[in-house]
Amino acid sequence: MIAELLFATFFGLLLLGIHRKVIARIQRRPGPPVWQEILHMLKFSFKTTWVPATASTALFVGVVLVAIGIWTAALLVILSGGSLLVIFAIYMLHKIVEHGFGLSSGSPYGKFGGVRSVISAASEIPLFVTVAAIAIFTKSLMISDIVAYQELEGPLLATIPLAAVAMYVVLLSKMPFGPFSIVESKELVSGYKTEHFGVWRAGLEVCNGLKTYVLLLTFILVFIGSLPFWMVLIAMVLITVSLSFVCAVSPMLSPYDSVTIQTLIAGLMVAYVAILGVMS
Amino acid sequence: MNEIGGAPLFFLEFGDIVIYFTPFTLTLFLLALVFSVFVLVSRPERQLEIAFGGDAYYAKEISLSELRFRRFMSIACGLACMGAMVTGDVFDFTLFVSLVGICNVGIVAAVRSRHVQNAAYQYGLVALAGTVPMFAAAGMVAATTGTLSMLELAKGALTVPLAAQALLVLGVMGEGMAPFYAAKAEMFRAPGAPYVIMCSLSSLLIFLRVTEVILLI
Repeated sequence: MIAELLFATFFGLLLLGIHRKVIARIQRRPGPPVWQEILHMLKFSFKTTWVPATASTALFVGVVLVAIGIWTAALLVILSGGSLLVIFAIYMLHKIVEHGFGLSSGSPYGKFGGVRSVISAASEIPLFVTVAAIAIFTKSLMISDIVAYQELEGPLLATIPLAAVAMYVVLLSKMPFGPFSIVESKELVSGYKTEHFGVWRAGLEVCNGLKTYVLLLTFILVFIGSLPFWMVLIAMVLITVSLSFVCAVSPMLSPYDSVTIQTLIAGLMVAYVAILGVMS
Repeated sequence: MNEIGGAPLFFLEFGDIVIYFTPFTLTLFLLALVFSVFVLVSRPERQLEIAFGGDAYYAKEISLSELRFRRFMSIACGLACMGAMVTGDVFDFTLFVSLVGICNVGIVAAVRSRHVQNAAYQYGLVALAGTVPMFAAAGMVAATTGTLSMLELAKGALTVPLAAQALLVLGVMGEGMAPFYAAKAEMFRAPGAPYVIMCSLSSLLIFLRVTEVILLI
């Protein structure tokens, strides 16, 4: 398990590095090397660490451990073929982590990052829609059952493509520098993570690496099915590059527009699942 | 569909009321427990505010009496939340969820600011109204199936009316609206991160649990 955890963290960070590189090349900038996020994590691990004098200390520190803990649990669930509902819950609980990061320091930048995280709760609804659409077809939410279903019936990507689009929007909303990345927008310095430096930021980087790996792996297992390991890695890179294209060519929306568009997408997806439910 | 939250790990029976842990409910229970411990051991942050008309800034302090009350309400909220996460009884679930709503109102209403109390009042009205469809849903489930046990209902032999499921979701939405009020700009003028986060967390957890309950019954 330790080996898988380390691999997921480093490969997730590498994917985030590829994301930055692709965005930079599309925008005709050289961009950082693809391993930059790994270097960030290592650098922050050995930098001076402190807790701001105004912070709620236990929460400021504890939320970093919670962030790593929930995504480690998510990785464990997905590797053991557990319930998709647990992944769904952990994804939603990440919102609380962002909220906790932002509020615990007392900084106005972090505070507004946390507030934006809460108001963009509509971004979670497409994931619920995905779960509901999958339940209609597979009659199970266990990832092992969903993979087995696809071996018999073919990829769910072909059966319920709009549910895959909903999940893709969920992935997009969690990618940095994307149209919905209002929680870490530059006018808030670094948003909810502004005041977390040193080893706390390294912990957050580990969480981001794990989160990216787990969400992409979930997408592949749930909509494509079981693949050889090397093909899973290639599929992850391809999905990341496609997300990077979207992020590179679309401006970051204002908080109001971001929430409005996410709500509209969520509404469309709910209608889609309602139609699926009636037809099935 | 009986194992939507994973295979059951542990059952604790109190007569016909059964508390059960699956990987899903255990995850939610542990999160509620961890954040309740944070509330217990942490002091609130001191938010920095800029003083208008100059370069000065100051840190907001929270009074001891306010801190004690909000901490008490937050811990009560955490306990109610833990109950709602693991109960296997529809009526108990509605009771715990309504307690979460009451505690959330308490957490917000304790702040001595007119703007924050306005937000608390509005949330209180919604939470109060939310109890009506929620308890009506529990009543309909009991009347149509003769049981309130989720484990019995999950066997599939009894059919829960769609209206009861819809009312249950509607009620939980009313109780779990706290983050939308907590996200109001006025609310964040008040310090107290561990307590405000308990509002968000409890609302999110009850949304997640009701998803499982609806799929289960």
